Amino acid sequence: MKYILMMNCPKNGYETFAAWPKKDIQAHIAFMHSLNKSLRESGEFVSAEGLASPNEAKVVRAGQDGAPITDGVFPEAKEFLAGYWIVDVETPEQAYAIAARASAAPAPGGVPMNMPIEVRQVMSGPPEDLL
Amino acid sequence: MKYILMMNCPKNGYETFAAWPKKDLQAHIAFQLAFDQSLRESGELVSAEGLANPHEAKIVRAGKDGAPITDGVFPESKEFLAGYWIVDVPTPERAYEIAAQASAAPGPGGVPMNMPIEVRQVMSGPPEDLL
Repeated sequence: MKYILMMNCPKNGYETFAAWPKKDIQAHIAFMHSLNKSLRESGEFVSAEGLASPNEAKVVRAGQDGAPITDGVFPEAKEFLAGYWIVDVETPEQAYAIAARASAAPAPGGVPMNMPIEVRQVMSGPPEDLL
Repeated sequence: MKYILMMNCPKNGYETFAAWPKKDLQAHIAFQLAFDQSLRESGELVSAEGLANPHEAKIVRAGKDGAPITDGVFPESKEFLAGYWIVDVPTPERAYEIAAQASAAPGPGGVPMNMPIEVRQVMSGPPEDLL
């Protein structure tokens, strides 16, 4: 079963992170690299990506002629995806255990962040009767 | 440059979709499959995934002992990721064009949905001085 583990943040989340002391940012990134490496070694890693700052986010809709209409205004409360992992595991509990490891990534001073990680199953495809 | 194109929905979005007439669901899914195929043929598709119903979503945090604490309660206004595409394109404008195509996926009666698609750049990795 494939699960996606998502890190979400508010619109100014990247500025908050960038204001950490450099050694704490380095320790955080080193933690993330070693988490990815250990997931690769256990065979659970499918993919992982980090997204650019929400300040560059756009919402795109098709206009009447199909051409893109772009907008950069979002509700104040909107959560932005900062990054995600997709893992392939046997049970949801294994996905939650990996999410808890990511959640405990170090904050300034090396304290675990215990940040919320949203965990969702990834579908293999649409139901056959809808094809 | 890699961009992620995200379809977001409210918590009950999957129920709204499932209540469409079956032929409209089939037409929507056929559109999505053809769309993925065209992005594959143009060499722009990196990956695409659909997520399971937000009703199964969990938030996971590490507890004091590092064990996962799971919770299924979300703010009423929360947007849930329904699915995404990652595309590799030379310009943001091309990503917006592709997002507009996705936005115009057919709704009930074959009318273009013109749904909002969130477009974000995917980072290649952390800045070198933070490694």
